[in-house]
Amino acid sequence: MLQALREIEGGIQLSLNVAVRAPRLAVPPIFESFLRQVYFTGVTAATGVVLRACLLGVIIIAVLMDMLDADVDLAVKILLLLVFRELGPLAAAAVVILRTGTAVSAEMAMMRISGQTRALRYLGIDLYDYLVLPRVAGVMLATAVLTFYVQFLAVLGGLALSPFIIEATFTELAGRLFELFTPVDFYYSVIKSLLFGYAVAACCCWHGLNPPDLTQNAVPKVVTRAVMQSAMLVLLINAVFAYVVFGILFFGLVKANV
Amino acid sequence: MSELALRYRRKSARHEIELSAPKGGVTRLHVPDEDAKAHLVTAMLKARCEPGEELELFGEAASTLAPAGRARLRAKVGAVSPIVGLVANLNAWENIALPAAYHGRPTLEQVAELARAVLGAFGADAAAFFARLPEELGVLERKLASFVRSLVAAPQLMIFDALEDGLSRAECLHTARFEAEYRARAPQGTLVYVDTREEA
Repeated sequence: MLQALREIEGGIQLSLNVAVRAPRLAVPPIFESFLRQVYFTGVTAATGVVLRACLLGVIIIAVLMDMLDADVDLAVKILLLLVFRELGPLAAAAVVILRTGTAVSAEMAMMRISGQTRALRYLGIDLYDYLVLPRVAGVMLATAVLTFYVQFLAVLGGLALSPFIIEATFTELAGRLFELFTPVDFYYSVIKSLLFGYAVAACCCWHGLNPPDLTQNAVPKVVTRAVMQSAMLVLLINAVFAYVVFGILFFGLVKANV
Repeated sequence: MSELALRYRRKSARHEIELSAPKGGVTRLHVPDEDAKAHLVTAMLKARCEPGEELELFGEAASTLAPAGRARLRAKVGAVSPIVGLVANLNAWENIALPAAYHGRPTLEQVAELARAVLGAFGADAAAFFARLPEELGVLERKLASFVRSLVAAPQLMIFDALEDGLSRAECLHTARFEAEYRARAPQGTLVYVDTREEA
């Protein structure tokens, strides 16, 4: 219980520190670190997710269209509401947790254990400025871009497979998709993916900087905790978003328009 | 009596240490064990003392200083010490330039010029040296990178913590150059060697 409270307090403190220090991103070494994080989280992940993202769309379409005996409208709705809005951001977040979350938490823990964070402090370099801020900002931006990329590929995969299952052409399906697509779908994904990125980066940074002890054995413990809690936070944020969009807002005062 | 750059006192269950270093001089401080050494170096680097410790830097008692005063004193202290190691995922140049790039002074051109001059005095090829990660550097080279990084801040008090630890006999011959390089750039600076061993 105490540990949980400590983690919540630490998370809030870290969030406030990051928010207050956002303008420091312009400082050259912090900006370089930010660019490096965007590269490792976004660019290097891009090629690896192509097949996975396409397969995601293909599998969802293949299973659901057969189960629901779908027509063009339902197929497009499945692609938009399920693949684009929900599974795309979740799949991107899973990639970020598995690739970046593990790397960030292990790197931070190693820096803490080997005394590199202490060395930075003695050099007058703030850890939030140099380590946390560029990672959080970089992971947020990269997650948003990666989410859009995964959504595009997953929907494309689904659209490519659909003509083999229902009687509709690729162009017919794509045209219907663009008719149904609203800016809300885009904003919804962007906001959600930014929050996913923030939650993953903040959680992994916090665990990395606060290992249970200062031995090598702490590193796997830190990574495990960071990954588990990041996944939990992502699912929690997704549940809140799903409730807000598909449920009733503000205790029934506002009815969400889907 | 000459003015002191450092006065340190620590009372623990095992030892009582009292050390001082005159301003502008070279002093060799010998402490009984690694723990005492870590406390001494940490106190100087933080300009802060723990219970049982007393520290004065340049005539100012650390215990009475406000955070701004401590930060001002900290800026006067540099160290080549395992406590202030290099950042593993940055190459030697990034390590050397990091504090200057972060604090915005001196300029990176000035840092590069200083680094090339010091590395040249040690017979190192600056371009090749800069590109290497800490794990690709030898013990002496890591100390050299750490030394150059400290020099960039033009410290008035330079600490050499166990400078010869981990060096071969041949490499130990180079360590005198650290003092000469520091003295050439800070003629009025104070140099403190800290070690756990008594001199032979």
